[in-house]
Amino acid sequence: MPLFDDLTRLLQPFADPSAGDPVSSRWRPPADIYRTREGWLVKVELAGVGQEEVQVSASGNMLTVRGRRRDSALVEGGEHYSLEIAYSEFERRVKLPCCLDEARLIAECREGMLFVRVVTAGGAG
Amino acid sequence: MTDSLGLPILPLKNTVLYPYVLMPVSIGRPASIASVEAALSSEDKMLAAFAQRDADVEQPGRDDLFGIGTRAVIKRMARGEEGIHLILQGIERVELLELEQTAPFLKGRLRNFPLPDGAEAEVEALQRELAGLAGRMQAIAEPAVPVDLNQLLAQVEEPMQFVFLVAAMAGLDSAKAQSLLESPSQIEAMRRLHTYLTHEVQVLEIQKQIATQAHTEIGKEQREYLLRQQLKAIQRELGERSPEESEVAELRRRFEELELPEEVRKEADRELSRLENIPAAAPDFQVTRTHLELILELPWTATTTDNLDLAHARTVLDEDHYGLKEIKERIIEHLAVLKLNPNAKAPILCFVGPPGVGKTSLGQSIARALGRRFERLSLGGLHDEAELRGHRRTYIGAMPGRIVQSIRRAEVKNPLLMLDEVDKLGRDFRGDPASALLEILDPAQNSTFRDNYLDLPFDLSKVFFITTANATDTIPRPLLDRMETLRLSGYSDEEKMQIALRYLLPRQRQEAGLTAERFQVPDETLSAVIHRYTREAGVRELERMLGRLARKAAVRFAEGDDRAVVIQPSDLAAMLGPERFFLESARRELPPGVATGLAWTESGGDVLYVEAIQLPEGERLTLTGQLGNVMKESARAAQSYVAAHCDRFGIEPPKGGLHVHVPAGAIPKDGPSAGVTIATAIASVWTGQAVRPDTAMTGEITLSGLVLPVGGIKEKVLAARRAGLKRVILPRENEKDLPELPEHVRQEMQFVLAERLEDVLRAAIPGLAERLE
Repeated sequence: MPLFDDLTRLLQPFADPSAGDPVSSRWRPPADIYRTREGWLVKVELAGVGQEEVQVSASGNMLTVRGRRRDSALVEGGEHYSLEIAYSEFERRVKLPCCLDEARLIAECREGMLFVRVVTAGGAG
Repeated sequence: MTDSLGLPILPLKNTVLYPYVLMPVSIGRPASIASVEAALSSEDKMLAAFAQRDADVEQPGRDDLFGIGTRAVIKRMARGEEGIHLILQGIERVELLELEQTAPFLKGRLRNFPLPDGAEAEVEALQRELAGLAGRMQAIAEPAVPVDLNQLLAQVEEPMQFVFLVAAMAGLDSAKAQSLLESPSQIEAMRRLHTYLTHEVQVLEIQKQIATQAHTEIGKEQREYLLRQQLKAIQRELGERSPEESEVAELRRRFEELELPEEVRKEADRELSRLENIPAAAPDFQVTRTHLELILELPWTATTTDNLDLAHARTVLDEDHYGLKEIKERIIEHLAVLKLNPNAKAPILCFVGPPGVGKTSLGQSIARALGRRFERLSLGGLHDEAELRGHRRTYIGAMPGRIVQSIRRAEVKNPLLMLDEVDKLGRDFRGDPASALLEILDPAQNSTFRDNYLDLPFDLSKVFFITTANATDTIPRPLLDRMETLRLSGYSDEEKMQIALRYLLPRQRQEAGLTAERFQVPDETLSAVIHRYTREAGVRELERMLGRLARKAAVRFAEGDDRAVVIQPSDLAAMLGPERFFLESARRELPPGVATGLAWTESGGDVLYVEAIQLPEGERLTLTGQLGNVMKESARAAQSYVAAHCDRFGIEPPKGGLHVHVPAGAIPKDGPSAGVTIATAIASVWTGQAVRPDTAMTGEITLSGLVLPVGGIKEKVLAARRAGLKRVILPRENEKDLPELPEHVRQEMQFVLAERLEDVLRAAIPGLAERLE
């Protein structure tokens, strides 16, 4: 049954959140969200992505982290034997329970993680 | 990404990759692998997938690919034995501008070909309609998958994304899929998808209908099988056995109790284990079971002990049959041999004689004398070899042959088996039963007789075979050769009288419930019945007549008349009707040219007259009266001989034709024994001298005038006597047959034994006697 194959294919994104957004062609990195005294801290798993490849923006209550991961560890004369890591464009949107239009965004890459500090006027409260 | 960009190209067979959609792909073509390798070694893992116009092209060029494809990123990759497995994520629609290289892999220059946009009310409506169709499709094809498709699709806002998701799910063929990918507008994409989906749903519905039907049919059988298995399990749990199992166990038990030859036991074991393993519903079960039952019931070793007391045997034979001295003596001889050598092969006898002379009952009394079981089967009209030898078990309704069935009925392996009417075997395209009989009746072969059904050798060598026939000439020679022929000739009137007194009358009396005192038939009456109401070699008709008399008497008693019935000859006309036969008084006087001959028929002997007449012209011998070839030739020889010896009779060979006629004209006649009679008739007509009317004759002649012996002397002499003829001319060599005649007949008749035709003529034609001295 072709339909069955197709459904499995469709369901794959749900089974593996890192595989991507079902309704988007970009892959979706996992993220943790912390409440802090100054506002929010959003930690996105983005190993192998240089800070210059990442764009962070906010609009309304939506924080968007967008960018691309390039396969930078290429060895001359080597070839892939298998591939599981998602490359190319990614996008992660995080909805926060407050308006971010006035917030300050500070992004920092450390040990394969992207930390986005969202500093709001009144803190996380 | 409106600028053009160069990417490796992956040609797709039979499928189309859509933007937004994840698709697993397996690739094996070297060029495709090279494309993927190139994409993998790039930082972005990007390639462009284009569908092939024709899936059979192995190395597609520019013209073999559709112009519109999808840019994709490799999400997952793994190498397998047959190539590379990929999961591709479609990103956007691209247009192929030109091919930059074709080897080692395709690489093309591409330009983004943006998806159409612009929402319309109709798009919205169509989208809902499509969601409904997709839901129906899922319900038909995969009712078990618990995915809320509508919920999934509701998340999709972008109409083209919706189209691609649904299309990917529906598994459309590549031409349709490509046309969706190339859609110029959203509304057009939706319309196309709607058409395709409607078609798919219809096909699926029909498929499902067919599948459901097939399923119900299989389901019924499976259900039955399952129930049976459960039944078995329950019975086992209860310590019971299914009827079939206990049946097989019972068969096995019976086999173990039985004494069987090694080969038979092996075969039976094999069949039993087969039986245990096939379900009772299988047609083979019954076939195998019946076969096993036959093996069980056949007397492989059981025998009866022969009673070899000769005195006892004599008593029994005499009790049952009057006369038949010679035959009884032969049977006693066989008994004596068996007594001295118990392993002697059982004899194979053939009783030949007219109907009603007691062939079958003789067989019964032999069985009684010997103490053997008696079984009889009639071969009359049997024309299928399989009747004797059985059908092979592969045929439906196959049965063992009659021989094996008789043995099974007899329950011993040494019965006396009577094969009646062996001269009336048929023969046609179904085979020749006589040939099958050859094996059965050959003591050298029948110890391993193999019935087609039984398919195991059975020893028939201990069976005492007796066959009966009315005449031997229709029995194939090889068959006749295997048997010892014993002739039962017809009975004389005196013998009939004795038989009637000793056997028939008491039997009929008993049948009618009468006693000897109440129903008496004096000798004169019996003699009248024999002469005037019957004419036969045997005694069947006579018995019937006596039966009628007994019943008439019974009527009288039943009506209350208590006086004893004594039947006088004068009563016969009233009780049996007018006389049926007149004592064939021989013709009182014979004109020249007529001679009295004697014939042997299947029902005894008969008197016949040969008439010859000289014709004024013609040279040929005319023969009439349904004469067979042998008789015609014999007539020609007679004519030639007489013509050649005319001088001895003192006449000139007459000119003109000769006509010989033998009445009764409608009855076919054949055989050489009328030779002397024809010669006598011819000599009589040519010399003008009459033949003695009280003289009958029989014998074959040769051209040199010799008289050769013939068969059936006893019947012929009895027939002559019945006809009132007192003088019989016989070939000298038949003198040896005279002792067969009852003593009183021998006393009464005058026999002339002839060596040459002259002897015959001298005795038959008084007018020639002197000339021939």
